Amino acid sequence: MRLLGNLWPLAVIGLFNGAIYGLAAMGVVLTYKTSGIFNFAYGGVAMFSAFTFWQLRDGWGLSQWIALPVLVLVVAPLIGLVLERLFRPVTALTAEIQIVIALGVLAFLQALALLIWGGSPRILTSVFSTDAFNFTSKLRIDYTQVFTLIVACALGAGLWALLRHTRLGTATQAVVDNRDLAELNGVSSDTVSRTAWIISTMFAAIVGVLLSAQSKLDVYTLVLVVIFAFAPAVLGKLVSLPMAFAGAVALGVGQSLITYWGSSGTIANFYASAPYLALFALLLLYGRQLKELRAAFQPVTSAPAARPASTRKLIRVSGTFGVVALLLPALLNEARLGNVTSGIVYATIALSLVVLTGWTGQISLAQFSFVGVGAFSVGHIAQANGAGFFWAAIVGFLIAIPLGLIVGLPSLRLSGLYLALATMAFALTLDTMVFSQRRISGGTTGMTIPRPRLGGFSFASTTRFYYLAVAVFAIFAVGAALFQRGPIGRRLQMIRDAPLAASTFGVNLTLTKLAVFALSGGGAAFAGAMFGAMRRSVSPSDFAFSASLTLLLLVVLGGRALVGGAVMAGFVYTLQILPGLSPYLRYIQLGVAVGVVYVAQYPDGPLTVAAERTRRYGDLMRSFRQLATKPPETADA
Amino acid sequence: MPDPRLEARGIEVQFGGLRALAGVDLAVGVGEIAGLIGPNGAGKTTLFNVVTGVQDSDSGRVLLDGEDITAWSPHRRGRAGIARTFQRLALYTGLTVHDNLLATWEAVTPGGVLGRNRQQGRARVNEVIDQLALGSIAGRLAGQLSTGLGRMVELGRALCANPRILLLDEPSAGLDPDETAQFSAILRQVAGGDGDRPAVLLVEHDVGLVMDVCDHITVLDFGERIAHGTPAAIRDDPAVIAAYLGQTA
Repeated sequence: MRLLGNLWPLAVIGLFNGAIYGLAAMGVVLTYKTSGIFNFAYGGVAMFSAFTFWQLRDGWGLSQWIALPVLVLVVAPLIGLVLERLFRPVTALTAEIQIVIALGVLAFLQALALLIWGGSPRILTSVFSTDAFNFTSKLRIDYTQVFTLIVACALGAGLWALLRHTRLGTATQAVVDNRDLAELNGVSSDTVSRTAWIISTMFAAIVGVLLSAQSKLDVYTLVLVVIFAFAPAVLGKLVSLPMAFAGAVALGVGQSLITYWGSSGTIANFYASAPYLALFALLLLYGRQLKELRAAFQPVTSAPAARPASTRKLIRVSGTFGVVALLLPALLNEARLGNVTSGIVYATIALSLVVLTGWTGQISLAQFSFVGVGAFSVGHIAQANGAGFFWAAIVGFLIAIPLGLIVGLPSLRLSGLYLALATMAFALTLDTMVFSQRRISGGTTGMTIPRPRLGGFSFASTTRFYYLAVAVFAIFAVGAALFQRGPIGRRLQMIRDAPLAASTFGVNLTLTKLAVFALSGGGAAFAGAMFGAMRRSVSPSDFAFSASLTLLLLVVLGGRALVGGAVMAGFVYTLQILPGLSPYLRYIQLGVAVGVVYVAQYPDGPLTVAAERTRRYGDLMRSFRQLATKPPETADA
Repeated sequence: MPDPRLEARGIEVQFGGLRALAGVDLAVGVGEIAGLIGPNGAGKTTLFNVVTGVQDSDSGRVLLDGEDITAWSPHRRGRAGIARTFQRLALYTGLTVHDNLLATWEAVTPGGVLGRNRQQGRARVNEVIDQLALGSIAGRLAGQLSTGLGRMVELGRALCANPRILLLDEPSAGLDPDETAQFSAILRQVAGGDGDRPAVLLVEHDVGLVMDVCDHITVLDFGERIAHGTPAAIRDDPAVIAAYLGQTA
């Protein structure tokens, strides 16, 4: 009884957060239901709205009772309309493309906010009074909490009533059930999805303002908190609004109850990771029951144009690369060479994702978690002078393999959107639960990583480490290119293009997918050892979810189907850290985000698309010439 | 009938409240071409999916050369020689036509993915390319082909899987009359050739083609087998006529 007496105040406190999560969960479900787009950028919209509110109220000194309506009734609907317009053309494309575009929008909003408001966090005070009063002898709450609960519940109930009792609600249900049929019966699915996006974005704005009153307002924190709402959204299978809200409230209460056992150390880690763990567990549990609505929109797959390189091209490219790589140390000063080295290491990491995402068609948002595994392994095992570095890297590789299998587990039953969510949940769980532990990562101060040493030979100098990085990348790249040309490359392409047919023709999907996840993770861990040595010291924030997100976007931009895509990812990454560019750095992120949103529809990246276009026109010209010289054949066969 | 290569006994599949297959029996012998016809929604593709293992049946058994394979995974069945084509093309769009065939050979051959017996694989692929006259498109990406050519490649892919049973799901949909004629000639050649001939099970809407090439025909309607017999017998069967007229009326 005493336990219960101590727990219920915590449960009540949890209601306040739960209600806000509930709004976010409903917002995410609403647009998914009506347009088939899962808005990964929801946290970004909330964050951007909170900053806008800060600008209006604290920055320009407007009364908050003007600022709030301006935000919710003008700014938010505008963002909603822009997003709806942006996503409308891609509703019919594959889930992977939609995910990448949504993630691109998220990165864009973060880069834009960084550009406008800078990196220093703001304090956004609550719109409501923070005066507290004793609710009972055990529970002290403030008016902000009370009003938050009232506002959230009122909005939730309002949305529910709107969909239940109005013409718009009926139209929405019609579109959800059968988009084409609804259109034939005079329901404008565009109007429905536009309205849904507006309401959803308004909710995001309110969520942003309410949530940022509780912690500092910066570009990253709020995004991660809004991801809490993804678990309840999945609980409602991304279609049920009441389930999403109820689940969110339960999550808030459950999370709050954890604090009964304390608020530091392992329990704090568990508190932070519980929503992500819940998301991962739910996805595994639901498995095949989760249907992608997209199926109802008749997916159109764009024909990928990737071809493995011919032997001649392979020799030519790697020869050129080798000569340039040998000459660079003579041409660049030490600092620049260091920059190139980091680009090469980054390209090595990117390559591990290209194999998974580009060749096999499995999206992973957890790749940098494996990089962290490799780096921390070296930090623990290798000696300070670098001896044992390579053994440590191999240990990291071996640790990453079972972890890769865990990430791969959801891929057996899930694909597209749900797989992306699962890998994201895994990365965030590892972030908050494992990497945050001082024993493992050295905590926020991180740990130092030695440059490698082999026998008596040290790779500590910039030039030597550069050569080592080149060698490791070359081994990865040539190995990958040879694999891609051979039976293994064909096998992965089979799984990417037509998994059902591949399975019917003797391909063990389970085994193949798990093997790719494991090897990709292992490769990332080995590259992570190099990453650590390049940095010389690493901390958990180097391997946060946002790093994996950036990596995925860069790989998409570079062309995820080819080894060259990894090189380009590394090149763009190097640009970001070149000295002298610092005033323009923020524009690079913005540019990458915009680029990704644009090229996401072409899986092979801009360079390949350009090459393919040229080739196609070449073919066209050639066939014209043939037509002129000999009569056309009557049939192809 | 020769020894049955494929047997399906009492297959039942229930989708929620819909009975897709209600105790269907089917047998195809070595070297035979069997037809499977019926109106849309009769359960033909579902039966294919049960035989290939991508759809679990609620009851019933599937036998390959007398061996019970009901519990086998799809890929195990594929390696055992159950090959199919798809109603909606399911080619590996990012691979060339040649590599579509080669990858399939590698997938069904033990050790193929490790590069074992590579010469043998290439020889088999070239043989099939010659047989189906795909030489002129062998280097093109499968994703860039017309439906007609795509269906030919699907057939070629199935032939590279060392098929003991060949399941063809509406192979003539999207083909022009010339291509259809060419297709039925190839089909006869495949089933009637020497060596280890596959059994063929053909789902087809082109009744002319079915009557032309099949040794015997099974008719499904609403998941039930309503007739079975030679083409001539099926043509005159009142139940079949009713089912088809019922569909068109």
